[in-house]
Amino acid sequence: IPKKKTSSYQFDIVTNNNHSCSDRSKWAVLQALASTVNRDPTAPHYMFQDDPYLTPRTSAEFKLYSLSQESGRMAANHIVNKNPKFFQKDFAEPHIPCLMPETMELCIEEVSEAALLERIMLRKVKAAVDMYDQLLQAGTTVSPDASNDLLDLICLYGDRDPVQDDKPEAEDVQEEGRRRKGRLRRASDLVRIVWRENNNAERIFNLLPERDTRAYSALIRGMVKYGAHVKAFNTYTDMLNNRLTADVHTFNALISAAPEVRERYTEKWDLIVDLLNQMNEQKVKPNLLTFNALLKALRRCGSLARAQSLHTLSEMKAMGIAPSLASFDHVLGIFYKAGQTDILQEVMTEVAGRTFVAQDPDDGMPVCLDTKDIEAAYKVHDLLRVGENWRMLGDSFQQSIYYGRMFNLLCMMEHIDVVLKWYKELIPSLYYPNPQGMRDLLQALDTDNRLDMIPQIWKDIRRMGHDNKSDLVDELLSLMARDKHSPEIQESFAVCALDVKSLYEQGQGARMALEWTATAMTNITSVLLAAQKKQQAWDMLKLFKTKNRVPSEELMEEFLASIKSSNDPQHAMELVQISASFCLPSTPKLAERVLQAFELSEEQKTILSELEVSTEVSE
Amino acid sequence: MYRILLLSVCPVRNRALHVYIREACLRSSKCDIVSLPICRATNGGVFNAFGTSSVIHCEKKEGPLPPKEENSALKDGEQKVAVKMVGEKVIELQDYVKMVAEQSEQRVGVKMEGVTESVKIEEIPVKMDSEKMEEIQTKTALLPIPEVKLEDVKESEEMKEIMLASKTEEVKQKLEVTMAVVKEGETIVEIQVKTEEVVDVKKEGDKVVEEQMLEVNKEEQQTEAPPKDEIQPVKSGKESLLDLLGAMKVEVTNKRKFKALKVQRTSETAARPMPAAMESTTSMFQEATGMADVPAPAPSETLSPELVAAVSAAAATLPSQSQAESELLKKLRQHEAIGEAQKNGDVNNIGVIIADMKVGKKPNGRQNARPANQIRFDEDGRGYTHDRGITAELDGGLRRRRSLFSGKRLNIFTPSTEPEADTDIAVPTLWDMELANQVALSTNQMPRNGFEEMIQWTKEGRLWQYPINNEAGLEAEAQVPFHEHVFLEKHLEEGFPRQGPVRHFMELVVSGLAKNPYYTIQQKREHIAWFRDYFQQKEEVLKEAEVYLN
Repeated sequence: IPKKKTSSYQFDIVTNNNHSCSDRSKWAVLQALASTVNRDPTAPHYMFQDDPYLTPRTSAEFKLYSLSQESGRMAANHIVNKNPKFFQKDFAEPHIPCLMPETMELCIEEVSEAALLERIMLRKVKAAVDMYDQLLQAGTTVSPDASNDLLDLICLYGDRDPVQDDKPEAEDVQEEGRRRKGRLRRASDLVRIVWRENNNAERIFNLLPERDTRAYSALIRGMVKYGAHVKAFNTYTDMLNNRLTADVHTFNALISAAPEVRERYTEKWDLIVDLLNQMNEQKVKPNLLTFNALLKALRRCGSLARAQSLHTLSEMKAMGIAPSLASFDHVLGIFYKAGQTDILQEVMTEVAGRTFVAQDPDDGMPVCLDTKDIEAAYKVHDLLRVGENWRMLGDSFQQSIYYGRMFNLLCMMEHIDVVLKWYKELIPSLYYPNPQGMRDLLQALDTDNRLDMIPQIWKDIRRMGHDNKSDLVDELLSLMARDKHSPEIQESFAVCALDVKSLYEQGQGARMALEWTATAMTNITSVLLAAQKKQQAWDMLKLFKTKNRVPSEELMEEFLASIKSSNDPQHAMELVQISASFCLPSTPKLAERVLQAFELSEEQKTILSELEVSTEVSE
Repeated sequence: MYRILLLSVCPVRNRALHVYIREACLRSSKCDIVSLPICRATNGGVFNAFGTSSVIHCEKKEGPLPPKEENSALKDGEQKVAVKMVGEKVIELQDYVKMVAEQSEQRVGVKMEGVTESVKIEEIPVKMDSEKMEEIQTKTALLPIPEVKLEDVKESEEMKEIMLASKTEEVKQKLEVTMAVVKEGETIVEIQVKTEEVVDVKKEGDKVVEEQMLEVNKEEQQTEAPPKDEIQPVKSGKESLLDLLGAMKVEVTNKRKFKALKVQRTSETAARPMPAAMESTTSMFQEATGMADVPAPAPSETLSPELVAAVSAAAATLPSQSQAESELLKKLRQHEAIGEAQKNGDVNNIGVIIADMKVGKKPNGRQNARPANQIRFDEDGRGYTHDRGITAELDGGLRRRRSLFSGKRLNIFTPSTEPEADTDIAVPTLWDMELANQVALSTNQMPRNGFEEMIQWTKEGRLWQYPINNEAGLEAEAQVPFHEHVFLEKHLEEGFPRQGPVRHFMELVVSGLAKNPYYTIQQKREHIAWFRDYFQQKEEVLKEAEVYLN
């Protein structure tokens, strides 16, 4: 059994290699076909196409649905892997390894090197260390390869068992969804998992009969990864004293650790240059990650960074290493800190039209849209459409950040027609704007005098579930109420306002209810008045009373004007009475104007003059 | 050279045929059948100059042109064969171009004249083309005879300017179309220009011109009673030529104005098709005309600041700006120095200069470069944006790129030429796998459509690989030759009796196995081996039954 397992492990590696080089044509046909499919801006993401019910309308739904889909998949995998004996039937011909259950449990109980390798392969750090100790106690010698593998494992996981579901092949959405947090988590990992003094890695390292470059490399990388920077440099010195040369990974780790062990910018840089010189002396060829680590370290070197980062880029060119997006990202970061934004143009001309393949965990579209430079934004967006570059945008969270900024910029900089074009293109198939995004859009509408679009936008707002954000609704209402428009538009506004009103009224249900505010009520009422919907406006006015809100004086004036146009003394009387009941200071004026403008009966006149007097007295 | 000539002539012929068909239906009996070929040739020339887009113009010019064509047709009645026969033409053209290369003053003069001639004929469609040039149109329309025109030019500066403006337009247009005709010939622009001119001269349909080329004899031209158009160079002689040349220089300054006008026109009227791809070449040819113009200054010309500015503007459109600029200026100064000599009729150098002029090949990256100071309409609807201009773009782009990549480097590593030994691929360590995993996590792996999902499945090994192969997964079997599967008798040689029922049975088994496509060769061997074991175990029994015969 153990033999079979190692062979399957190697098989995995072989297939991986095949994937990377020779067998690219395997999916060339599919790639060609895929390139013919354009995105449908009206359709939901492909992920959700199986079930229209699960078409997400808000970002929260998107998250929920995609995560639940993925977690279902993972649960199924978990069951299969936990109960391999029920899933042994192999229907597929030729055999499909990934459909078979993976062995997660340890199978070898005896104390042997094979058992140690099995534990290493399954990433059981503690069990592997125990096995190693038992082997040593039994007096067996462990082969250097196995002990190096063990050291790698311990250093990689910082002498802790990895989180169970953090499988190496778990490249699914759930992992992705947590990645942003995952980054934080990784940061917190640094805090939580620290390189302890004399941990198993160091202990086993010291037990090794002969320490070669690989053992040192693993130790140094582990130390750097888990924050023991000074120790890493000490180990490196130790290594040099043993007349060993380091490998490129060691240097990469040391370069990224260099800013941690020096205080001043020049000292940091000197240390880095020293390391690079040693690399050259030891005939170690730098790779892309070396330079990316260098640029990343430069970000912490203050004013030195700008000149040196350009020199680094030139060095990369001289070495024939094409910078990845991470390199450009670091350069941009360096220059932006200094407030020099024109570097963006240079970078964009450099990257325009190129296809990028992720080579560095830091690779990703530089989200540099905060410069209010719409041209640059378009360039970035064009870049995104080249080849497989869309993959570089990262997970859905980063995508929403990107599209959010892009949309914000569009609203700010572009004409409303262009904005609406992008709006149709991006929303809601790619991006679910937050309330702020919708407010930006409303402002853009306002700026370009396209307020007639508001009812349509309101529908989108409702669909995206932002209709319970009171400030957004308030803004929408005030925009509708502010200006006079043509009767058709007023009519559509009134429909929209009634919709908003119904939302307020039915809001007591399951969802978070909107609280009536005086301004919202005033705005709705004036929109209704402007659309000649008197009855509904009256209803609104009465609603003021029940909700204990006070209408503004301007609103009363509008009411009076509207009543005047229809010449309805009864309503005018009512209006004055309502005004009096709110104790509005303008009531006497109102009453006076009603007296003048309408033909009233004696009775009404007395009531009005009483009101006039009474409010004056009360004042 | 020959090929280029052919290239530029062939379209003429094609065009002529095309026109013939067209005219055959359009034309009334104005022209008799004899003159038709000539008309065709004439029209063909015009067409060639204007490319496909000018077909419509030709229809428009139907009115004004026929008399002219008839004229030429009548004049060359007996020479039509020469005009018709393209092969001959080519040879003559070749001769002519050779002579041009010799830079004989007369030929240059003739050539220039040719340009003007073609201009005069082609002016009409241009006028049709743009309403803005109406005044020019009227003026030129008033002057159908070139001599008069020249005199007028001499008389009025303003007039000359206008005419020259139109001429520039012509040259530009013609050059553009040359480009369209001979698309690949970017490097040989200069020669093409010449050829084009030659073709035009010829297509004016004049045998005279051909003879002029061959014999280089002005007097003969005169005696042969050439068409009025052709008399002009002879009559006006060197002076008029110099005038023309001087005028050509004037247009260096005029050009900009005119270009602005033209640009405006192109941006305003979408009616005139100007493919975007042509734009850069247009600018190149504008520049080429500029170059052709610049080094042909009037003798009295000094290097005025405007001229220098024009030179630098022209040079800015070239890839090697400073080099081109200094080259141009050098030539100009040279001209200034020999200005007096030129005044006395020594125009040799013009030919030298024109022949020496090279138009550098444009780098691919600058295809979309627009001419300087051009205003373009932003299709995003933001209105007119002022382009930074080609100079700024080129300048800035180069400088920036230099600053991003070609600055000083760290000078720590020395790039090695030896190929890297791929030692890492042998055994990926845990670190490598972790790195790959992180990289995969940093990218968006969600498929966007069904095909991408299928790619993902293919990568996971769940899906048949495309193109579909029935033997997928049987790679190991592919190594086994056919006869191993079919001829299995050799496996019976050991451990089985030579004859008897067991042998007979096993032969049947083997023949069955030979026809079985589902077993691998290993399985077949195991199958046989099982029987071998079985019969050996039962050997006693079989021997008792006397069926195990050895």
